[in-house]
Amino acid sequence: MNGGDDTRNLGAAHRNGNNHHHSAKRPKISLPISESEIREEFSHHEEGVARINNGSFGSCPASVQSAQKNWQLRFLRQPDDFYHNTLSEGVLHSRTIIKGLINADDVEEISLVDNATTAAAIVLQQVGRGFAESRFNPGDSVVMLHCAFQAVKKSIQAYVTRAGGSVVEVELPFPVTSKEEVIDAFRLGLRRGKQDGKTYRLAIIDHITSMPSVVLPVKDLVSICREEGVERVFVDAAHAIGSVKIDVKEIGAEFYVSNLHKWFFCPPSVAFLYCKKFELSKDMRHPVAFQEHGNDLPVGNAWTGTRDYSSQLVVHSAMEFVERFEGGLEGIMARNQRDVVEMGKMLADSWGTNLGSPPEMCASMVMVGLPSRLLITSGDDALRLRSYLRVNYGVEVPIHYQAQSQREEGDGPRDKDGGRITGYARISHQVYNVADDYYKFRDAINELLKKEFTCRMIFTE
Amino acid sequence: MTPVSSRNPNHVPHILLMASTDAEQYHFGTNGEAKPPPPKKQKLCSFISESEIQSEFSHHDASVARINNGSFGCCPQSVISAQQQWQLRHLRQPDGFYFNDLRAGILESRKVICSLINADDVSEVSLVDNATTAAAIVLQQVAWAFSEGRFDKGDVAVMLHYAYGAVKKCVEAYVTRAGGRVIEVDLPFPVSSKEEIITEFKRSMERGKLNGQKIRLAVIDHITSMPSVVIPVKELVKICREEGVDQIFVDAAHGIGCVDVDMKEIGADFYTSNLHKWFFCPPSAAFLYCRKSAKFTDLHHPVVSHEYGKGLAIESAWIGTRDYSSLLVVPSIVEFLNRFEDGIEGIKKRNHEEVVKMGEMLAKSWGTHLGCPPDMCSSMVMVGLPSCLGIASDKDTLKLRAHLRNHFGVEVPVYYRAPKEGEVDPVTGYARISYQVYNKAEDYEKFRHVINKLVSDKFCCACLSV
Repeated sequence: MNGGDDTRNLGAAHRNGNNHHHSAKRPKISLPISESEIREEFSHHEEGVARINNGSFGSCPASVQSAQKNWQLRFLRQPDDFYHNTLSEGVLHSRTIIKGLINADDVEEISLVDNATTAAAIVLQQVGRGFAESRFNPGDSVVMLHCAFQAVKKSIQAYVTRAGGSVVEVELPFPVTSKEEVIDAFRLGLRRGKQDGKTYRLAIIDHITSMPSVVLPVKDLVSICREEGVERVFVDAAHAIGSVKIDVKEIGAEFYVSNLHKWFFCPPSVAFLYCKKFELSKDMRHPVAFQEHGNDLPVGNAWTGTRDYSSQLVVHSAMEFVERFEGGLEGIMARNQRDVVEMGKMLADSWGTNLGSPPEMCASMVMVGLPSRLLITSGDDALRLRSYLRVNYGVEVPIHYQAQSQREEGDGPRDKDGGRITGYARISHQVYNVADDYYKFRDAINELLKKEFTCRMIFTE
Repeated sequence: MTPVSSRNPNHVPHILLMASTDAEQYHFGTNGEAKPPPPKKQKLCSFISESEIQSEFSHHDASVARINNGSFGCCPQSVISAQQQWQLRHLRQPDGFYFNDLRAGILESRKVICSLINADDVSEVSLVDNATTAAAIVLQQVAWAFSEGRFDKGDVAVMLHYAYGAVKKCVEAYVTRAGGRVIEVDLPFPVSSKEEIITEFKRSMERGKLNGQKIRLAVIDHITSMPSVVIPVKELVKICREEGVDQIFVDAAHGIGCVDVDMKEIGADFYTSNLHKWFFCPPSAAFLYCRKSAKFTDLHHPVVSHEYGKGLAIESAWIGTRDYSSLLVVPSIVEFLNRFEDGIEGIKKRNHEEVVKMGEMLAKSWGTHLGCPPDMCSSMVMVGLPSCLGIASDKDTLKLRAHLRNHFGVEVPVYYRAPKEGEVDPVTGYARISYQVYNKAEDYEKFRHVINKLVSDKFCCACLSV
């Protein structure tokens, strides 16, 4: 697939940033992709590994890799020409596709960055400048979830705390049985965190939390933020695109970021950062890019020095891949959700445990309780168990240690043996997964139980 | 310890976390296979031949006289292959790659760089995307020093007038916003000796110390970008030390593979160089050296990950999910270099000799001159363009460059030098020609011929459309 030539033609059509939903215009003239074609596209995946962790690092089909190599070659062949004549058109095309997918108003609102971690740095640096330049008062705060991604927490420390801001952490319940539980807990947390004379300058809310993974009612949470006087909201939706439908206008946040290399079949790494238009004039800068014409988003994001921009240029190739499936992206999302919930239930039934959230609060991932007898008693145990499963059973799945919450009434869910469930596996389902992947995991755990294995038995050098 | 049987043929009875000592024993060859480290200087029976070199760069557009290695560099086929191996390893099993391979691979690259640049300790070497990122890292901590009161308002940062545009903006943004003052060192161009540069630099030091202000930071290019000149960096660092400058940052984007890069000799606090310009790395990779004895503890990568606080080198080795393959191929590049006579030293020497030779050939043909003496050139040289071409602005240089690319298949950047008052028939345009191992005399002969043709066709920049 020659990614470059297609772009030159499509670029002209998209240059005006027309509100054009890509998939709606394409006529379906061929059969949907077959099982064997899917296997072929992912034949580079390591054999013998039950790869049920698409959530961490995503996946990229061979046809998109091929398109990427073409872009890389074009750069290497004549880099000056590429930079002057090709790059910005290609990036604009990618941004235009994303604008259509997420229902943004204007392509100027879409910037491409490396990943959600970079986007967090951009937003938090801006907040940090608010403190450093005394537009914010010492003690004004940033709100985050207790389960926020570790990189985001550290970024808050580096840019907000250091500059004199304070941090309010809101704990959400887990396991969870309804979105109302989340809404109530969030509202309570915001109210509790309020201090006289202090302003909530920013709230950072996940669309789909990482660990433990749950789809949050993000639209409702943004409304609550408005009610409680939060100035701006940043939605960390690292997992969202390709997992759930995204409508940034409906969600209403000022900033929204999602990785395209997780669930949208792009190679590492590329993410989009959406900034509501009026925010763009307010000093949003890329942390690295400083160009003659300024490093304001999104211009700054198109050129952060000599880089390999190929992953940003294959968005339309990923789109073409997605459209080979029945129902396109929506079909993929619906089937992933159906299958991951089915596999989750299968595992929970076999082990006598539970699921961490109801189906309507899952997308392509679900948390499955692990048997209490494994004795997962810390984050370290969880990490070691994960490595153990990788090395000894060829199963790749992240494990979450769920400490007992102080908010919980009673002492949390128990498994069929009556023991407390302290560990959850986050299983993912992507188009390349098959039922055998999950059976393999099921059997591995059952074997460990049979041998009376516990996490205490894992040694590290 | 209960042994557990495994279905995995590579079963180990317990978890082994890859210790850093393992990395010392391995590097990855061009096919990504683990290999013991090569001896420092490989004695080969025969060196890489001309046709092998052309083969390594056969992906270059053959219709283009590519005499601009300075802008975007180049990458030989064997390194591209090594890179693709690393990329495949990630795609194949990314969790396994992340937990077992990535950090060891980056550490290995850092060790190679550490020894190439004569740094004391591998902890002094971080790998980042490019020199611009390195500048952001250094400038960020300078900005914190201002805002946290360790530097006073009005304290000074000094940089060269010809500093790279992006770095200048970075310095202005971080220093000026934080209340500091920026002084630019005017440099003469054309320049005839390094003494001219040293004199100007000393003069700027004096300006910086007016009103009792302290000079907190000096940003010095090792090789300026446009116009390109090798700066006497060792002498300037010495002057900075004499003046008590707090932090000395050498921006050597073009450095490694172009000039001698010896950290102890140069003596700066920070030194950065791109690996993808003259060191055959794919885009993009650079190193940032931070002198350990300077005890700068406040250096952070601007993209904060869970590794925050563990030291710059560790922070830079993980800035979220990325393609780190360009940082991982450094050992493969050393293998490539060792195929040349005298390795990287031989390449540098031959590039320099050839570019000066080609530059003098062009200047003679056009009746112009070089922008600096040979000992102030590296693998690039500024060659005066005939004044009748009528280069009268920066815009003209971009138009001319595009014209050369689109109509004649010559890729070369052009620099505009504003004429001084009273100059007769001034040379206002200079082409920055580069010479790298894939270049041939024909590339420069083509350029010579094209310019001569433009001159005889009475071409001038004013004729070009906007």
